[in-house]
Amino acid sequence: MSAAVPAGTAPTAIGRVARWVAATPAVRTLGPFVPIVAAWWIVVEMGVFPRAFFPGPLEVVWSFGDLTYKGILPAYLQDSVTRLVVGAGVGIAIGVPFGLLVGLHAASYRFFWPVVIFFQAIGDIAWLPILLIWFGFTLTTMTFVIVYTVIFPVIFNTALGVRMIPADMLRAALSLGARPARVLWEVMIPGALPNIITGLRNGLGYGWRALIAAEIIVGTSGIGFMMFDARRAGSVVEMILGMIVLGILWYVVDAGLLGPVERATIERWGLTRREG
Amino acid sequence: MTDGLVIRDLSKTYFDLYSGQHVAAVEDVSLEIHNGEFVSILGPSGCGKTTLLNIIAGFIAPTRGEILLNGRRIQGPGPDRGVVFQTFALFPWKTVLDNVGFGLKMRGVPKPERDRIAREYIALVGLEGFEDRYPHELSGGMQQRVGVARVLANNPELLLMDEPFASVDAQTRMTLQEELTRIWEDRRPTILFITHDVEEAVFLANRVIVLSARPGRVRETIDVALPRPRSWHRLVEDAAFKGLVARVLSLVRTSPS
Repeated sequence: MSAAVPAGTAPTAIGRVARWVAATPAVRTLGPFVPIVAAWWIVVEMGVFPRAFFPGPLEVVWSFGDLTYKGILPAYLQDSVTRLVVGAGVGIAIGVPFGLLVGLHAASYRFFWPVVIFFQAIGDIAWLPILLIWFGFTLTTMTFVIVYTVIFPVIFNTALGVRMIPADMLRAALSLGARPARVLWEVMIPGALPNIITGLRNGLGYGWRALIAAEIIVGTSGIGFMMFDARRAGSVVEMILGMIVLGILWYVVDAGLLGPVERATIERWGLTRREG
Repeated sequence: MTDGLVIRDLSKTYFDLYSGQHVAAVEDVSLEIHNGEFVSILGPSGCGKTTLLNIIAGFIAPTRGEILLNGRRIQGPGPDRGVVFQTFALFPWKTVLDNVGFGLKMRGVPKPERDRIAREYIALVGLEGFEDRYPHELSGGMQQRVGVARVLANNPELLLMDEPFASVDAQTRMTLQEELTRIWEDRRPTILFITHDVEEAVFLANRVIVLSARPGRVRETIDVALPRPRSWHRLVEDAAFKGLVARVLSLVRTSPS
């Protein structure tokens, strides 16, 4: 045994088990939150702030159980996720083809680009007053806001992606007998996919935040509504619970949906851009 | 009807936005390549040889002149002219098998038939066992073997190669050159090979066409009657090879500019 190894770090059976545990996905994901929750708990136990304003982890867990038991949390969660899925779906269905169009067609780019920039500047929330008059407190209003938020990053990144495809690759496809429609499907879309996925990731991230903001203002149901509604009862516990749910849900979408898509495509093809 | 590639009085003039002037890239180029011939086109850098290849491939339009391939006028890119690029230009999202089978897929050849033909050409370039790999998992030399197999599998009437071995290391380049001559001797495709490397041009071809500096014109054509099969091991000490290289080199170096 080398003298450089400090006492107590010899690779014992316990050490191996500890390392194996540390390498499991659950521990790797949740591990970093342990000190945060511990610090939270300590501050609460020190009694610096009144319990009603600054509840501890146990109250939040209890509230989670209570709201889940009553069915409020699952119902609101389902509402929020449905809105996000519908909005993101419509946003992608419009944004990707439109991004391809402005990315590939110079005249379309010249015509549409000023319009795109103009409407991008009008933030999603700025549409809410007029949307509430037009559509009221409905799913249409919510969907519009989410679509509006998702669509711009998707358009920008898709257009960037098709422009970054090397000219030789397109020439190769043409001289191998591919017609323009096949080039679009066989070369343009897979070639732009790394950028399209980046656009989706940004778009969904913004969309998720826009959704919560819209739920607070439109306020009929959903996680955002639950948090804002808790203000009337003065229930800080529910607000914190809502915040935690938002964070967890986004992590699940990112790690459970976008991550695997990325690994199955652009990482497999060696298209990830290496940093540094 | 003439067989092979016929180029008559081909010129290409660019308009340079920065200088505001018209620049001639190639001027009054006329040449013929017969079917089954292996021709190198050699010239100093900037002589417009890549422009010439891009016009033959149909990627850019000439300013004047015409190009006929087996009697047909060339218009735009097409599968009758296969191109091997210096940058390889493989599809990173496709496996070696699917890259090589791409042209056949575009022609509507059914998958089992397409894979059978693709495997045959993958074997021809010595890449058996790599069918399911993605391009990024291969070395530069192996990637260009895929580039060659992809074009050969499409059975073009003319093979256009644009400095295809310029971005691989020297040892690999020699191996690839020897294998290309082996494939040519075996299958006799018509090849037009663009390079600025004098030894490469002489080693590979039956005929070397030397272009002058910009604007590119045909300066001289030199027949290479060296015996085949050719190998670097033999030719590196061969007096006839060295003599040809010296002669071509003097043409390139004294090219008026």
